[in-house]
Amino acid sequence: MSDKNSPFFVGYLSAPQALRTFLMVICVVFVSGLAGLGLALGVAQDDPGDGAFRFDYGRQTVTGVLEMTPYPVVRVTEGNERIADGQTLMLSGQGKNSIMTRASPLEGQLVKVSGVILDRGDLEMLQLRGGRNGLSAVEGTAPQMQTEQLGRWRLAGEICDGKCLAGAMRPGRGIAHKACANLCLLGDIPPVFVTTQPVEGHEFLLITGPEGTALPPSAYHHVAQFISLEGDVERRGDLLVLKMDPATVEVVR
Amino acid sequence: MNEAEAILMGLRVWAMIGAVVAAVFLTVGMDRIDEDAQGAYIFRPLLIPGVLVIWPLVLWRWYVYESGREVWSRRYAPPRRAHFAVGLILPVGIAVIILTGLVLRQTWPADIAPVQLSTAQEVSQ
Repeated sequence: MSDKNSPFFVGYLSAPQALRTFLMVICVVFVSGLAGLGLALGVAQDDPGDGAFRFDYGRQTVTGVLEMTPYPVVRVTEGNERIADGQTLMLSGQGKNSIMTRASPLEGQLVKVSGVILDRGDLEMLQLRGGRNGLSAVEGTAPQMQTEQLGRWRLAGEICDGKCLAGAMRPGRGIAHKACANLCLLGDIPPVFVTTQPVEGHEFLLITGPEGTALPPSAYHHVAQFISLEGDVERRGDLLVLKMDPATVEVVR
Repeated sequence: MNEAEAILMGLRVWAMIGAVVAAVFLTVGMDRIDEDAQGAYIFRPLLIPGVLVIWPLVLWRWYVYESGREVWSRRYAPPRRAHFAVGLILPVGIAVIILTGLVLRQTWPADIAPVQLSTAQEVSQ
């Protein structure tokens, strides 16, 4: 205030002559700098993949045998034009909710499932409608479903929640998605292991604890990290299930 | 209970306490400490999400007003003193966090191939 001749910017008046060059430089640097930073950060991100809710397919309704791995899956015995017989679909409820309580009483039975598909390559999940509209027992005897043991494997990759990875979120994996993934897993959404290279032709395996138990608490620490681990692999229809051995988990450096 | 469950439980407890504070403050407390808010109700639900998050601050400010310890000019002194430092630390901190994240993040180990350690027969034995 001591120098009454120093230029002073007032928003609703023309910029003082002495400040115009300074303001122009600041504007150009600021706008281009932010644009450049945004571009650099965007380019540095991993490809979120092509997973998505397939509302464009419409509601999907199929019949199959319900299995608990312990996470619920349905082995399709009577599919439709999009879901073939013999496919295995992981199942989830709305949001971050599982269908465990609905599915457990129907384990091993012939059921009808209905909902919307999430699709990412060979990874498919069905988000069920609410109540009996989404899951109900049907008449008939459930056929005996085969499970093929594929031995013990050492794999490298990442533990994700199957729903976000399949397309509910973009990105549905990576460290930025860890908290979301853990919330889904706490809700008993089927977890998935993404492998660095295909196992028996599959990049995604449903992952469980040892002996077909739920994912162990120690695994939550390693969600979204790149790790290696060992476990027994089995094939259920077109879905591979990895029974992880928690003691073998190592973070890949 | 693993750490993830503990964090989730902590957030739920925090939000539940916040809900109780919001219910009491927005129905009783606000009228006691702000005469301008008396008789105005439509805006109060808009404050619920904020109270859920910062309910300890709400309780503290409520106590300060109720106990007559409020000196309005003091409220603005700390933010004014901190303006310059915060203005500097914030952008630098954001840049450091982003750069640290980019440096520390793992590289997808695409070169590690799956290895079959044993066949199904060996596992069953």
